[in-house]
Amino acid sequence: MSDYQPKILGFLCNWCCYTAADSAGVGRYQYPPSLRVVRMMCTGRLDPSFPLEGLVNGADAVFVGGCHPGECHYIDGNYHALVSAALVHEALERIGISKDRFLIDWASAAEGPNFVKIITRFTERVAELGPLGQAEGIEREKLRQRLIEAAEVAKNRKIRTNLISASKEMVKNGDFSRPAIAGLVAAKCDKNLTQMLGGRPV
Amino acid sequence: MTVIAKTATKISGAVMVIGGGVAGVQTALDLTELGYKVYLIEKSGAIGGVMARLDKTFPTNDCSLCILAPKLVEAGRDPNIEILTLAELVDLQGEPGNFTATIKKQPRYIDEEICTGCGQCTLFCLKQIGNDFNENMEINHAAHIDYSQAVPTSYYIDAKACLKLNHDSCGLCAVACQAGAIRFDDTEKELEISVGAVILAPGFGRVSDEVMAKYGLGKFQDVITAFEHERLMCASGPTGGEILRISDRKHPKKIAFLQCIGSRDETCGNNYCSSVCCMYAIKQATLAREHDPDCEITLFYMDVRTHGKGFDAARKRAVEEGKFRVIYARPPRVEDVFGGGLLLTWATEDGKHHYEKFDMVVLSQGLEAPDEADKLAQAAGIDLNEYLFAETDTYTPLATSRPGVYVIGPFRGRKDIPDSVTQGGGAAALCAGQLAPARSSETVKAVFPEERDISQEEPRIGVFVCHCGINIGGVVNVPEVAEYAKTLPNVAYASANMYSCSQDAQRVLTETIQEHKLNRLVVAACTPRTHEPLFQATLREAGLNRSLFEMANIRDQCSWVHIHEPERATQKAKDAVRMAVAKACHLTALEEMQLPVTPSALVIGGGLAGMTAALTIADQGFDVALIERGTQLGGKALLLTADRRDNDPRQAVQAVIDRVNGHPHITVHTEAQVTACSGYVGNFTTTVESKDASELIHHGVTILATGGNPYQPTQYSYGSSPKIVTQLELEQRFIDHQGSLKIAKRTVMIQCVGSRDEDLTYCSRVCCGQALKNALRLKALQQEMQIIVLYRDMRAYGFMEDDYRKARQLGVIFTRYSLERKPEVSVDSDAVKVRYFDPLLGEDLETEADLLALSTGIVPEDPSVLAKMLKVPVTAEKFFLEAHVKLQPVDLPVDGTYVCGLAHSPRSMDETVAQAQAAAGRACHPLAKGSVTPAPIVSQIDAEQCIGCGACESFCPYKAINISKDDNGKRKARTITASCKGCGVCAARCPTMAIDMGRFTLNGIMAQIHAFGEEEKEVVEA
Repeated sequence: MSDYQPKILGFLCNWCCYTAADSAGVGRYQYPPSLRVVRMMCTGRLDPSFPLEGLVNGADAVFVGGCHPGECHYIDGNYHALVSAALVHEALERIGISKDRFLIDWASAAEGPNFVKIITRFTERVAELGPLGQAEGIEREKLRQRLIEAAEVAKNRKIRTNLISASKEMVKNGDFSRPAIAGLVAAKCDKNLTQMLGGRPV
Repeated sequence: MTVIAKTATKISGAVMVIGGGVAGVQTALDLTELGYKVYLIEKSGAIGGVMARLDKTFPTNDCSLCILAPKLVEAGRDPNIEILTLAELVDLQGEPGNFTATIKKQPRYIDEEICTGCGQCTLFCLKQIGNDFNENMEINHAAHIDYSQAVPTSYYIDAKACLKLNHDSCGLCAVACQAGAIRFDDTEKELEISVGAVILAPGFGRVSDEVMAKYGLGKFQDVITAFEHERLMCASGPTGGEILRISDRKHPKKIAFLQCIGSRDETCGNNYCSSVCCMYAIKQATLAREHDPDCEITLFYMDVRTHGKGFDAARKRAVEEGKFRVIYARPPRVEDVFGGGLLLTWATEDGKHHYEKFDMVVLSQGLEAPDEADKLAQAAGIDLNEYLFAETDTYTPLATSRPGVYVIGPFRGRKDIPDSVTQGGGAAALCAGQLAPARSSETVKAVFPEERDISQEEPRIGVFVCHCGINIGGVVNVPEVAEYAKTLPNVAYASANMYSCSQDAQRVLTETIQEHKLNRLVVAACTPRTHEPLFQATLREAGLNRSLFEMANIRDQCSWVHIHEPERATQKAKDAVRMAVAKACHLTALEEMQLPVTPSALVIGGGLAGMTAALTIADQGFDVALIERGTQLGGKALLLTADRRDNDPRQAVQAVIDRVNGHPHITVHTEAQVTACSGYVGNFTTTVESKDASELIHHGVTILATGGNPYQPTQYSYGSSPKIVTQLELEQRFIDHQGSLKIAKRTVMIQCVGSRDEDLTYCSRVCCGQALKNALRLKALQQEMQIIVLYRDMRAYGFMEDDYRKARQLGVIFTRYSLERKPEVSVDSDAVKVRYFDPLLGEDLETEADLLALSTGIVPEDPSVLAKMLKVPVTAEKFFLEAHVKLQPVDLPVDGTYVCGLAHSPRSMDETVAQAQAAAGRACHPLAKGSVTPAPIVSQIDAEQCIGCGACESFCPYKAINISKDDNGKRKARTITASCKGCGVCAARCPTMAIDMGRFTLNGIMAQIHAFGEEEKEVVEA
C-alpha cells in the first residue's frame, strides 16, 4: 500500500487559495501530486452538494480552500462556505464516513508554503485512511450509494432552508468561529437530516 | 489671431507618472480609466515599490502583495500605460498641457517583449549579488527578476555585476535562454516624450545606516531594521517566513521595537515625524506574536501616534491580545553585553532609570525624502521644502510650485498606503480637469471583429498544451498530454506548442480557431490569473466570445510543484485537461452588457469636501448637483480662523464657494435634503427636497460628503465659566476678543476631550495640531503667557512636529496624563482651577487657569438615513465604511458611490481636499467611459424555480439582488447585473438551486467533478 496515492478533489477560490497554489509553484515548493483543482471565484459559491458529489465520483477526500476569515475578497463568502462545510461534515458523520475526508482551510495569496503544508498534511492523513471505505470498513459500492443519497440531501430544499436560517443567525450573532457555525448548522438541520440520513452516531 | 489660437491650444492627452509604487500605479490606472495615455517611469527593474516588499499591511494585517499584484498586472497589460523601467526624468520643458519630458532609460540587457519569465537565466547565471528585494539577507544573481510577481514579468541583468558585460566571460544566460531574449549589446537610451501633465510619485527614502549605527546597526547582527524584519516575517522572504536571529538562526524570545529612529530627531536633521512607524511597529509586533506565542515583546514609544481611521482600535486590540509591553521612553543606544544579548537602558517619565537585555532589537526606521529628490526637483522644475520634500499648499495639496506638475505619495510628506492611493486618485482627477479637451485623444481602444453565434453548434473544442520552454515540458510529457486531449469528447483539435503566450502563438491560435471552426478554447499552460485575459483577447480576435475559454493550470500547480515526479505530474496534467474540456463543453457565450451612464454626479454635502469634489468633477466637464442642508456653502472649515501657516482658511474657503457658485456645470441646492434614492451605478435617481420644492435628479454617480460636527463637551465644567472654551471657540476669540486673550496669564489645554475611549472611541486626528497651532498663536499674542498642555500622546504627525518643537522652545509645558488619572477642573466663583498629576514630580499639582481650552473631537454627521437609502455600510463609530481600506479608500462597496471628508474619518483641511479630489476622480471613471460593463460572471436566476424567499437578497454582499413582484404578483429575485461581482453566495444558498453563475455554472462544475472521476473508473473497469 506504500505506493497508494490518494485522489483529492480541491475547490479553490480564485483570490486566495488558488493564488497561493500558484505562488507555491513560483517558489517551486514541492507537494504530493494528489490534488485536482476546480477553480471558483469564491468559496461562498461552494454548494454543499459539490464535495459530496466529489466523493461519489471517486475522490478519496475533498479539500476546499479560501481566504483567511475576515479577508474574503467578497466580504464574507468564506463564512458561508463554512456553513456549507458544516453540513458536509454532518452528512459524512451520519453515513459513517470519516470527517477527516473533508477539509476546509485557508491560505492567503502570499502563503504558498502554507498551502503546501496544508495539502501535504491532508494527503498524509487521507493516505492513512486509505481509499474511501477502507478506514470506514464499508464496502465501496454501498458507500457510494449512501453518498449519492447524501448529495441529494444537500440539494434538498428543506435542508437548504435550514442552512439559510443557520447563515442568517451566523450573520446576526457575528460569531464566525468554526464551532459556532457547526453548532448552528447541526441545530438547524438535525431534525431533517435525521429523517433523511439517520441520526448521528453516538 | 486664429493661428496663435491653433498653436497655443494643442493640449496633449498623455500624462507622465514618475514612480511605479502603489501611488504611481494607482494614479496611472485611474488616468487611463479617465481617458488619458500614461507613461509610467520607474527607476528600478519592476513596478510595485515598497508595498510589494511588505508582508502585511496595517490596520487589517492583510497580505500586502496579494492586494497589490492584481493592480500591477492590470497596469502591465493596459494598452494605454507604457511602463518604462530603469528610467528616470532628467528634464522637463514646456507649459502645462504641452510638456516635453526627457527620460534616460538604462538597458535591461534582456528583451522585455520576448522574455517569458521562465527564470532559466537566473538558474545559469554564475555571478551572485545581494538580493535587494530581501534587504540583502540572501543571494540573487546578476540576471534576475526582483520578485516572482514583478511587472513587467521580465528578467534583467545587473550591469554592474554581470561577468559578460564587465569581463566578456560567462554568457551562459544567452545559451540557457530558449526564447533568445538576451541582448548584451543593449544600450542606454534618451527619450523625449510629449505629455500634458506630470505626476511625481517617487516614494520615499530611508534614514541612513549612519544614523542607525548609533543603535548598533551594522555592529550587532541582531539589531535589524523594520524593513528587514518585514522580510523575515514574509513567507517569500529569506527565511521562508520565520523570524530568526541573524547571529544564530534561533527564534528570538525577547524582542524590542525602538521607535522614532531617524524621525523626530534634530541631530540627524529630521525633525518631522514619519507618521507610519508607530502603526507598522504594532503590526510587526502582532505578527511576531503570531509567529511565537511565548516571545516577550516590548515597544518603546515617545508618543503613540496611531491617528488613522481604525488605527487606535487596532492598536488597542493588538496590545491587549498580544500582551505587549509599551514603554514611553527613548533608549539612546544599544549596547552589547558579555554573554550575548543586547542591552537597552532608558529613563521613564517618572525620572527612573532602567536596563534590560533583549534577543533582538528592531529599529523603526524613519522615512526621508526620496534619494536624489533634489535632482528630480531640478529636472521637474519644482520647489522643495527644508526637508527636501515637495513644497505644497494647504488648499491645493497635490499641486507643486510648477503648474501642471503634481505630487502624490510620501514625496509630499510621509504617509501610509491609503493616503498615497487617495492622492493618486486625486492627482489623476486634477490632470483630467486640466487636460479635459484632450480626453481620449491619445488612448487606443482595441477593435475586435464581430462575435460568431455558436449557440446552435455542437462543441468543437481546441486544446493547446504549452511546453512553456522547459518549465512544463521539462517535467510533464507535453506531447503525450496533447495526444490524450485528442481522445476526449468534443475535442476537434489539439496540439502542443512551445510558448502559448508569445505574440507569434496568438496568431497561430487565431488561425487554428478559424481553420478548424473551433468554438471553445482550452489552453493548458500557466495560470488563468495572469494569462486568461491575454487568451480571451485572442479569442475575441478570432471572432469568439471571451467566455468560451477555459484554462488548465499545468505549470504553477503541476510541473513546478512535482519536479521529481514526471509520470504523476503528466497524469495530473491529463486530469486537469480532461476536467477543463468537460467544463468547456458547458461554456456559453455571455453577453457583456454595456449599460449607459448618465454623465452627471450628485454630491451630498456643501462643505470643503463636497465643494472640492463638485469642482473637480465639473472642471472635467460633467454636470454636478451639489446638495447642502444648510443655508449656505462652506461647512465647518469656516469655523477655523487660521491654519498652521497662519493664513486665514475662511478666505480660501470663500474663494472655493465663489468658484462653485460661478461654475457653469454646478447646480447648488441649499436648504435641501435627499429623501429617496434608487438605481445603480450609471443610473441613479434621487429625490431632493428643498424648502418649497421636491425635485427628481438623475445622475450616474454619488459622492457622500456629509461632514461632521464638533463634539459638545459636558466634562471639565464646560459651560460653567466663560474662561472654559473649546479650541474652536478659542479660534473665534482670536478674532472677536483678542484683548481678553492678551491679558490671560495662564492657559491650560486639555487634549482628547471626549476622544479616545471617552464618548468617542477613536482619535480625532486634528486636535493635537489645532492645540499646537493655537498655543503658538497665543504665544505670538503674548510671549509671557504660561501655557500648559495636558495630553495623552501628542499626535503631531508629519511636519506638525515642527510646531511641537517650536512650542516647547517657546516654553509651552507639555504634561502627559493617563486615562486612570485624568485632570480635574473646578470652578470656584470666578476662578477656574485645574488639578493634574505630574509624573516627573510624582504628585498632583493645582493651577489656576485664566483660560482653559478643551481640545474636543469630531463627530460624524449621523449617516444612518443615507446609509440605509444607498445601502452602504457604516463603521461602529458612524463613519462610512470604504470598499477596501488600502486600495479603494474613497470607494464605497456599492458601485458608483464614493465618500470623502469628515464623513469618511477625521482629517485636516489639506487631507480633506486631496481626498475630495480623489473621490471626484474615481466618480468620473464611469462618467468618462460613458458606459459600465460588468464582468459577465454574474448570477442568473431561473424565475420558474425561484420561490421568492429572499435568502439571496439578504446574503448578497453587494445588494445586487432584489426581490420584486412579477406580473402575476409573485415575489421573484432579480439580479442587478451592474452591481453583481460573481461571488456565488446566492447560488450556494438558494433553497431551490434556481441561481446559477456565469462561467462557473452548476453544470460546468458538475462536469468537472464527473470528469475528475472518469479516469478512476477506467482503471477500475480495466
